[in-house]
Amino acid sequence: MTASSATAPSGAVYDRGYRPFEGTLGGRRAARAAVYRASLRRAVGLRRSWRQKLFPWFLLAVASVPAVVWVGVAYITRGTPAEAVEIITYREYLGVSTALLVFVAFAAPDVLCPDRRHRTLPLYFARPLTGTDYAVAKVGAIATLVFAFSFLPQVVLYVGQLLVSDGAFEYFGNNLEVLWKIPVATVAFSAYFSLLACAIASLTTRRIIAAATLLILLLGSSGFAAGLSEASGASERPDGFQVELDEDGVEGDAPVGTGPNSTIAPGPILREYEDPSSAWGAVDLLDAPMHVRDLVFEGEVIEVYLAGVDGAGLLAVSVYLLVVMTSAGTLWWRYRWVEP
Amino acid sequence: MALVETRELTKTYDAGTVRALDGLTVTVDHGVVGLVGANGAGKSTLFRILLGLTEPDAGTVVVDGIDVATDPIGVRARLGFMPEHDCLPDDQSAADIVSTLGEIAGLAPRDARQRASDVLDLVGLDEARFRPVEGFSTGMRQRSKLAQAIVADPTLVLLDEPTAGLDPAGRQEMLDLVARLGRFGISVMMATHLLDDVQSTCDQVVMIDGGRLVGSGRTEDLLETTGVVRVDVGGHGARLVDELGAVATLLPDGSVELPAGDDRIDAVVDAVARAGLPLHALSSRRASLDGLFAITDRDVG
Amino acid sequence: MSVDTPVPGPTTSSSDPAFVTDPTVIVDDVSVWFGQKVALSELSCSFGAGVTGLLGPNGAGKTTLMRAVCGLLPPRQGSVSVLDVDPRRDRDIHARIAMVPEEDAVPVALSARALVRYQARLCGVRDRDAIDAALATVDLVDVADRRLGGFSKGMRQRAKIAAALVSEPSVLVLDEPLNGADPVQRLALIELFHRLGDEGRTVIVSSHVLHEVERLAERVVVVIRGRLAAAGERHAIRDAMADVPRRVRVRSDDDRALAAALIGHDAVVSVTVEAGPEPGTTGGVTVSTSSASELALALPVTAAGVGIRLREVLPLDDSLESVFTELTR
Repeated sequence: MTASSATAPSGAVYDRGYRPFEGTLGGRRAARAAVYRASLRRAVGLRRSWRQKLFPWFLLAVASVPAVVWVGVAYITRGTPAEAVEIITYREYLGVSTALLVFVAFAAPDVLCPDRRHRTLPLYFARPLTGTDYAVAKVGAIATLVFAFSFLPQVVLYVGQLLVSDGAFEYFGNNLEVLWKIPVATVAFSAYFSLLACAIASLTTRRIIAAATLLILLLGSSGFAAGLSEASGASERPDGFQVELDEDGVEGDAPVGTGPNSTIAPGPILREYEDPSSAWGAVDLLDAPMHVRDLVFEGEVIEVYLAGVDGAGLLAVSVYLLVVMTSAGTLWWRYRWVEP
Repeated sequence: MALVETRELTKTYDAGTVRALDGLTVTVDHGVVGLVGANGAGKSTLFRILLGLTEPDAGTVVVDGIDVATDPIGVRARLGFMPEHDCLPDDQSAADIVSTLGEIAGLAPRDARQRASDVLDLVGLDEARFRPVEGFSTGMRQRSKLAQAIVADPTLVLLDEPTAGLDPAGRQEMLDLVARLGRFGISVMMATHLLDDVQSTCDQVVMIDGGRLVGSGRTEDLLETTGVVRVDVGGHGARLVDELGAVATLLPDGSVELPAGDDRIDAVVDAVARAGLPLHALSSRRASLDGLFAITDRDVG
Repeated sequence: MSVDTPVPGPTTSSSDPAFVTDPTVIVDDVSVWFGQKVALSELSCSFGAGVTGLLGPNGAGKTTLMRAVCGLLPPRQGSVSVLDVDPRRDRDIHARIAMVPEEDAVPVALSARALVRYQARLCGVRDRDAIDAALATVDLVDVADRRLGGFSKGMRQRAKIAAALVSEPSVLVLDEPLNGADPVQRLALIELFHRLGDEGRTVIVSSHVLHEVERLAERVVVVIRGRLAAAGERHAIRDAMADVPRRVRVRSDDDRALAAALIGHDAVVSVTVEAGPEPGTTGGVTVSTSSASELALALPVTAAGVGIRLREVLPLDDSLESVFTELTR
């Protein structure tokens, strides 16, 4: 019944419900990268509701806005007498904005605590992933974001100033060292806060507790340092407020008090009194990375309390390293084995 | 090549006071294996050692030809694990969870997405896979957990009490799924308390108590002979005993028991036919593994 | 006593197996709803001394029924009476009723002894020995003073059962009591429930592991979608589903010949030759029949008639499993 030239009918079944995987599996590196990517996604709000996206992006905007504002000011005031007003420096801008602190305080726990709370950790470690890999990937993700959130505004500031200045190449040439100082300081800064936040988050299953602990620890130590410094009899200062000096020795605020050392006069005012300084300033965990930042930018500690103390630099770096090492140690200890 | 081979595997805790595993030596072939034992008998410890999460104090274990001691990461690449407890992050969808865990197992993101879709089809999670796990029933959670265990196409999947918390219909579905995995070439090691599950689904059994092996082998073989033949002839047991004579005993539930043997069986069937009695049941095999476990447990003490 | 055979349960009333003679718990036309969800719908049944199994899919209403029986929630319609008393009105009766719920929620900081003692106080049990006796019944005496948090799931279950037993309740309602117990503990608990049933207590046990319910109780009550689906002895329930053919697996020394001989019988609906372990061999014959008893009578005779030696005869769906599957289909 078939024509001689017809081919025999043929058929095959290709899929009975399961296809084995023919490709190759990546090893630890792929696993680490996957944890890193998944954590980044989560912290930034991808694949989650719009509410979760709002938080990080809003914070980033808040962190960047000052840069835009300063650049705008510089633009508007160029060529006018008000040009003398100094724009914020890179050193000063790389600081702990409230936005950043809030971000890391909530992002780190959000990325670490649920895995422990929902007992998902055994699922991770049934895969080619060691505890160290996990911790490195998670901290890396947070650190990347903190770095990005701190670095981007700096870039905005730099590019803005570049464009606004009289001569772009001139500006470039005059500010060469900034090109390495900003990244290095930002890395030191990000590493510190991410490690600390992640270490605290690794200790608990509740995100809110981790966030609160971090904030209390940082702000509390800051206040503590302030209290101890004052109490230990820092050098005299006028009633009223402290004065900050910028690079040219020009005061930011004119003293208006009636303290023994105050003067009231128009024009440039010479420094008459010192900022209070005390070694207790080293206890301030919030500012420890700031001191390191100052060391990178200026080679000396500038911020309050620790400034002017002998060996301030060494002290600052020691505190910094202490926090970093303790955090890393805590993370190692918390993820070294997991109950399946 | 055997699937899992252990030799004198030993693990103690609390400075030797708790012997979780005590010289366990067993060979298991590819297929669906039931791992049975009392709580604390060593099932979870064995899983931990297989996953390379705990190091044994002594002994060796080889999975699919790889020694766990020398290459724990390599062994993990061939394993999948489904824990007993809840382990899924509530606020993510099943598809997202399985896909991410697939990436962490080493799949490229595109492969992970495809595999996640495949295994979620296999376990029967259709539209629900895009919803957050929060609203899932126990059955759906168990299936999601199973899906993440097989997403990277493991050689052996470790299931810890997979039917816990499921109603009879759900249990049957899960066991059917496990049997299907076996047919697709994925070996399964199922730790369970329920000997019935083992009997219906597993082709091999490993029984451990106090960290020691008390029995292992193919399920068929373990069920094979009890040494007696049991006959159920409705309410007419006494009549049958009369026919058969002294060798037969009448049991309390109305069935009749005799020593085993092919010729005995023939004699019984002849007697039943002669007397015109109804032959409801006739067997020299165990009805269930229960008896085996209870006896061996008592021996071990 | 063997745990393979269930003890005779409450005597089922011959007119309606949902009810027993000498009931201790009577559920009369009870309906319960939570908002739009109807949990129980016009359910009527009774329970008596001995062990009764309560079965049903998840969400079918078993837990609601158990709570209504214990007086923990009021029926919106109908009535519940326990030992001739409405448990919602008469609070004293609560000392005679004990419930062991399924949830694993125990105060983890307490020891087993403390938990039992607490329950004893709640029920007004003064006798110190009662606490030790309850703990001994569930074999927790050695670990009675350890924190519940350190217990395995099966041990926590047993602690809850001990707490329930300390007041010597007449009615004991247990929701999945074997959950988390290993094979040895399961057998021990089954034996315990048998004993309690023998003592004349009304024991209602719900479980998803149907093989164990078979061992636990002769009488079962099946609730599906809030309605009473079936009740009575499981063999009788199976017989009542006469329209569903029974299946029997027969092994012999010549399966094909046996199949050919059997298919001629009126009572045989279908015959399947099963594949054996090696390709080309057979592994028995599955016979589907409209009458199990007729097949049982015909089988030895037919086999003898064609010179076949039978090796094994196994009814496949005499179990609760098959009854349940049919009911929930």
